[in-house]
Amino acid sequence: MADEIPEAPAAEAAHAPDAGLHLSLQGVVQRFPAPDHDGEITVIDGLDLEARGPGIVMLLGPSGCGKSTLLYMMGGVRPFDVPSPTEGVVLVGGQPCEGAHDDVVMVFQRYGNRPDLTVRENVAYPFRFKLWRDRVDPSEIDRRVDEMLEAVGLADKAKLRPSQLSGGQNQRVALARSLVLRPRYLLMDEPFGALDAQTRDEMQRLLHDLHQTHPCLVVFVTHDITEALTLGDRVVVLSTRPAQVAADFTISEPRPRSTTWHRSTEAQRLEESILKTLHGGSGHGHLRVSV
Amino acid sequence: MWNPYRRIPALQRRLLGAGAVALVLGAWALVSGAGWVSPAKLPTPWGVASAFGRLAMPDQSGDSLLFVATKWSFLRVFVAGVLVIVVGTPIGILMGASPRINAAISPLVDPFRSAPIVAVVPVLVMWFGIGELTKIVFLFMGAVVYLIPMVRDAIQAVPRTYWISARDLGATPWEAVRHGVIPMAMPRIADAMIVSVSIMWTYITVAEYYNAEKGLGQLIQNARRFSAMDQVFVGIFVIVALALVTYQAMRALKRALYPWEAE
Repeated sequence: MADEIPEAPAAEAAHAPDAGLHLSLQGVVQRFPAPDHDGEITVIDGLDLEARGPGIVMLLGPSGCGKSTLLYMMGGVRPFDVPSPTEGVVLVGGQPCEGAHDDVVMVFQRYGNRPDLTVRENVAYPFRFKLWRDRVDPSEIDRRVDEMLEAVGLADKAKLRPSQLSGGQNQRVALARSLVLRPRYLLMDEPFGALDAQTRDEMQRLLHDLHQTHPCLVVFVTHDITEALTLGDRVVVLSTRPAQVAADFTISEPRPRSTTWHRSTEAQRLEESILKTLHGGSGHGHLRVSV
Repeated sequence: MWNPYRRIPALQRRLLGAGAVALVLGAWALVSGAGWVSPAKLPTPWGVASAFGRLAMPDQSGDSLLFVATKWSFLRVFVAGVLVIVVGTPIGILMGASPRINAAISPLVDPFRSAPIVAVVPVLVMWFGIGELTKIVFLFMGAVVYLIPMVRDAIQAVPRTYWISARDLGATPWEAVRHGVIPMAMPRIADAMIVSVSIMWTYITVAEYYNAEKGLGQLIQNARRFSAMDQVFVGIFVIVALALVTYQAMRALKRALYPWEAE
């Protein structure tokens, strides 16, 4: 892991708090038909979660505990063949979330970049859809795309294709494609999980910077405790299946967080508590600790 | 030797290929030239070559029999090929994009892949007569039942994340298919088109079996009637050569259109 993450000038809270930002999960239950026998598997069982205002909420839990399913619910994308959630309510900005939401954009671990398009065309990709074409006029689209390419540091790679980029650069494209829509909620499903440690550090730093300039409510799914401690204003620890909120930690240390902070008693204690919560359930989860 | 992933040098690959062809030609020359088999059953390679020369030469009217036959066969495959692609591709895409449409259409298409399409020819003759229409319809039917399922499979092979991601970014379900799925499936769809045109070349002789006045199938048919085996072989070789040329040309076009696929 890169040790020297330089301290940025304290630009914390440069953005006005947005009172309208509000995600709410109430009594959420998700059941899926069991694949190999009759009956059902309960993946999420009565989960409650509230998040308000701009910030980064980390959802931490073992693999297969239903983190991604939760994210899909909030994103309003229902790729499953069963109703989601089975029970309970999902509110985005106080409104029931019943379909893909204009204000909510997701970023996946698999970048989803179109291999036949250039970096620039990939970033501009959402504007191929009528929804955005009707709302944003062409000159504004060009301006926003340029701005995002600049922000993720790919302005000089605009004409390349995804296969000519590294994994980290591809994830930058995916991030730019999401943020070009100026979403108020950004849902990230282990976005940096496939990247090597150093690139992951860079991407975490980039996310922090982008969050400064585009303050929104980020829900970030990870199974990496270090990542949770590096990025989270809050770390919500989920139990093993069926998932419930096992613990909810608030981290007041401003980002970017130094190595010194990661080694501090506070951080160490936090990490221990998280580990204890995770292992308190049913044995070991699949967790990485790499402070 | 037993490493399926090894890349062999281009020169070695060509030598092995040319060597195998030369070997078969040599064996053929030996068997036919030594008189072990009657020329009525197996002509000599040089006999076939001279038949090729005779057929290719312009006759009294100034037309080359072989050239005219080739032109007609090529035109039939071309017209039927365009129809197959124009009609079959959208159907396959719709089937791949919608399980409902697939459920409705696949019983009408899938069984015909293993149907004895050749046996349908007399029926087509009854319906469409003995003219060009029957030939085109036959080639069309023979190939489109392969193209449609292959296009459908190409659509369904695109990882669902592309569709989900497009939906999440604000696409309507159809926009997600149009912008997120179809472009990703295009290289495989192009492969399907190439295969279905290849299939048409195998059917051309059958298409030209009935009442063809011109065409390579008719040329073969005619030669067989007069036991001119050398001419039968000429017809077969020309069809194989044409099929190879169209295959390579379409492959090159596909690579030019979708350079990103190989990357």
